[in-house]
Amino acid sequence: MAYLQARRDFLKLATTGATATVLIPGSLGALGEVALRGEDKFVRSICEMCSSRCPMEARVINGKTVLLQGNAFAKEMGTSLCAKGVAGSSQLYDSQRLVSPLIRVGKRGENKWREASWEEALNLVSTKLSALKERYGARSVIFSSKTGEHYDLLRSFASAFGSPNVFSHWSSCPIAIESAFTQTFGEKLHRDFENANYILNFGHNLFEGLDIPLTKAMAHFCANPSKKLVVLDPRFSIIAAKADEWHPIKPGSDLAFVLALLHVWIRDGKFDHTFVEQYTIGFDNLVDAVKETTPQWQQTLSGIDANMVERIASELYAAAPRCIIDWGHKATTTQAEYQRSRAILIANILMGNVEKEGGIYFTKSAKRVNALAKESIVPELNNPYPRPQINEPRIDGAGEEGAYRFVSKQHGVLTAIPEAILSQKPYEIKGWFLTRHNPLITVADPQKMKEAMEQLEFIVVNDIYLSDTAMMADVILPECTYLERDEGISTLTCKVPTYAMRNRIVAPLHGNKSAIEIMRDLAERMGFGSHYAWKNSSELRAFQAKGNAELLQTLLLRGVASFDVPYFCALEPSLVERFCERYPKSRAWVDAQGCFGHLLEHLKTPSGKIEIYCEEIEKVFKGYGVPRSVDMDVTQGFPYVLTSGKSAVHTNGHTQNVPYLAMLLSSNPIWMHPSTAKAHGLKMGDTFYLQNAIAKEKATVFITEGIRPDTLFAYMGFGHDAPSLKRTHGKGTNPSTFLSLESAPLCGAMITNVGVNIIKA
Amino acid sequence: MEKQYRLLYDENLCIGCQACSVACRVENSVPDEVYRLQVHLHTKGEFPNLGMNYERLSCVMCENPPCVSVCPTNASFQSKDGLVHIDERSCITCKYCILACPYHARFINPLKNVVEKCNFCYETRVSKELSPACVSICPTDALSFGDMRQKHSLVHQKSHKEVLVFPKAHLGTKPKVAFIPNRKGMKS
Ligand code: SF4
Ligand code: SF4
Ligand code: SF4
Repeated sequence: MAYLQARRDFLKLATTGATATVLIPGSLGALGEVALRGEDKFVRSICEMCSSRCPMEARVINGKTVLLQGNAFAKEMGTSLCAKGVAGSSQLYDSQRLVSPLIRVGKRGENKWREASWEEALNLVSTKLSALKERYGARSVIFSSKTGEHYDLLRSFASAFGSPNVFSHWSSCPIAIESAFTQTFGEKLHRDFENANYILNFGHNLFEGLDIPLTKAMAHFCANPSKKLVVLDPRFSIIAAKADEWHPIKPGSDLAFVLALLHVWIRDGKFDHTFVEQYTIGFDNLVDAVKETTPQWQQTLSGIDANMVERIASELYAAAPRCIIDWGHKATTTQAEYQRSRAILIANILMGNVEKEGGIYFTKSAKRVNALAKESIVPELNNPYPRPQINEPRIDGAGEEGAYRFVSKQHGVLTAIPEAILSQKPYEIKGWFLTRHNPLITVADPQKMKEAMEQLEFIVVNDIYLSDTAMMADVILPECTYLERDEGISTLTCKVPTYAMRNRIVAPLHGNKSAIEIMRDLAERMGFGSHYAWKNSSELRAFQAKGNAELLQTLLLRGVASFDVPYFCALEPSLVERFCERYPKSRAWVDAQGCFGHLLEHLKTPSGKIEIYCEEIEKVFKGYGVPRSVDMDVTQGFPYVLTSGKSAVHTNGHTQNVPYLAMLLSSNPIWMHPSTAKAHGLKMGDTFYLQNAIAKEKATVFITEGIRPDTLFAYMGFGHDAPSLKRTHGKGTNPSTFLSLESAPLCGAMITNVGVNIIKA
Repeated sequence: MEKQYRLLYDENLCIGCQACSVACRVENSVPDEVYRLQVHLHTKGEFPNLGMNYERLSCVMCENPPCVSVCPTNASFQSKDGLVHIDERSCITCKYCILACPYHARFINPLKNVVEKCNFCYETRVSKELSPACVSICPTDALSFGDMRQKHSLVHQKSHKEVLVFPKAHLGTKPKVAFIPNRKGMKS
């Protein structure tokens, strides 16, 4: 396996002796040995080694070792944490971290810097941004960040500044499924893995892309012999290994398989008729759309036997409503991504599993629960990040007339950025502010992105490492790690209302600042300090909690707060009854079936109902109103498909240089089936070239039976160019270099399955 | 013996995520080049009939520990709880124990130049009624730990419900670490 491979790599390195001692200016190493400070106690906080944001706690002993573990006050966590989470201390004490603001002295991207004081750096950033605003208008500066509190903050900052151009990482990850949710249900739903009996999984690999509560539930599900998991994935992933059945489906053809399921259920009348009638609109359009999508038809596309589809369809129906057709979390496989995501949601709907135990459910937010109880049982929070409406068109047209009109303005389309900068259309773009965002690793066609960045007048990056993207900056602001900063209250709500708060575990080791401090300071310098009702993180928290000291106290001590609200599904009468017993006023909502059916009848969709057919979409994108067979080709005429995904020890492009994690997996040799390797004369560990119309890159081969002969696989996030990331610099292949900037229709998702050729080196 | 500790590794729950290994390193300040604990995964079979093997490698706390009997200085010893420990002060790094251990569990800590291995996190955790770091951290609850004399413990209950495998049982070393074998996929 790849870990063993990595271990060998590591041993090789370890035996070739001394690690380089060249010091990067501004890095922790440059300051020499630093005393580790800390308090001898437990501090409860939120992890940030990936986007799952697991509640965790730290034990700090003698100010030296920081053992991080799960926060057992969050009961789905227990004391569990993943490898990345536990390695948080290794990142904290990493000598290659940035510790001082840096200002560019060489050409852009040349990686020549001088250290600067915070005063100088922040002053420069504010002066430059203000100057751009004055000359070209605020819209000439774009802002981007990962999703999370950072992003809410950045978005608020951008709108105070006056720019509509804010981007999250959504378009490179969940945007298709998020937009399918919006258009189908008006909001996002969650999966009740704990109580399900049957799960159909399309490569949602919770055992390598971990989210502890979900991963744990899924692990117990798999280990339970009375439950059934079916995994479709071109690769023998860890979750495939844990499944009862693994079907190596052809990359990109999930949609065909789901359309065939829908066909079978409708052909045989085996679906929840009452649910469909009562809570949905547009079923007839679906009937029409899947007339021809027979199991036989899908066989040619997916490579999965028609009888298999028949059997899985009938097993799912027998298990309904305690079954889940899992939509995954990164929805970026094909041009058909939006249709695939919608088809999966509609498959769930036909099984009538919405708001049923062991099915899928709406977030039980404070607001929703309070409204239902007709009393205030859970405190609601103030939004500390105000966002004035900016009446300017976005550079990507997200949310406006045109190709991206259905893409959320909040998140934008990252792949549209290079073209907009290079063509200066629809208007001039001169600056970019990136918060902990590394598009040169995580977004398609970094070659083009770099070219575009070179055209900009001013780039500012705040990060904890001198990343590939940071190398392109004019000013780098070294952020403190999540273990060194306080943040506001965040919402963790799924089954019951839950809040969590990031509490600082140790004081910043080197006076690095948090994004909250950086943005607040810049806002002050640029004259819009009054935009925020708070001056520092404690005021922010108090403002958010509306002065609720008890809530704040709980979050300080326990890291999480939940409110003993009983879990309920709106369509499970016994659970509804339990809720009503606790909150008698809620009985007013109970319908003839003993349910809270109104929750499903007043959705934020145009019809207020669950939309199997979206009229609004159909009007603009003909044929997209209902799931249909559309472009599933991911080969673009090349013989192989390169796919990518996560390993359990790394997060996207961010953790490859973290010492303990680099030791576990330091490169990403390309998975290849033995017959494919043989055809190209490749032996384990050989180097070769991957090539398509966009790039030709060196790679190393990892030969394994665990992949289709026509498919290749790479762990994502490798192939860093930044020399400052010494442990990962120059190792592995960056799969993004092969990806096209052409995004999926309607949702704007970046496409990560791509056709390539294998060329012998 | 005063305690009957057992560490149970359920292969059906293990996902090879390496969290336990990192937790062990952090808890015990294990130097970079060496491991007290590793979890290996191996793919078995031929496409598409595949399976995955899970292997947890660490000291298994033998009841009859060969490492103890060969130690010339009694640096390796068995406590009254039946756990095998190493007294750093008396270890002369002669490596006899490393050769004697059939589980390849021992190594030389390059920073301290003494022999080291998994000690069930005895000093920092187990003696304080905490679970070993690896057990505590595991995201999927694949590990359980406890005193087998406590009938209500998870370790006791799981031990009686499942078929346990003791690594290299034929050697008669009587490990305190037991495995619940994987039930899914192609068998090796
Ligand atoms: S932490 Fe648990 S699941 Fe992960 S490798 Fe260790 S035993 Fe297996
Ligand atoms: S596993 Fe090896 S080191 Fe551990 S007790 Fe047994 S013989 Fe000794
Ligand atoms: S018990 Fe402690 S020392 Fe032994 S493997 Fe687990 S974490 Fe490491």
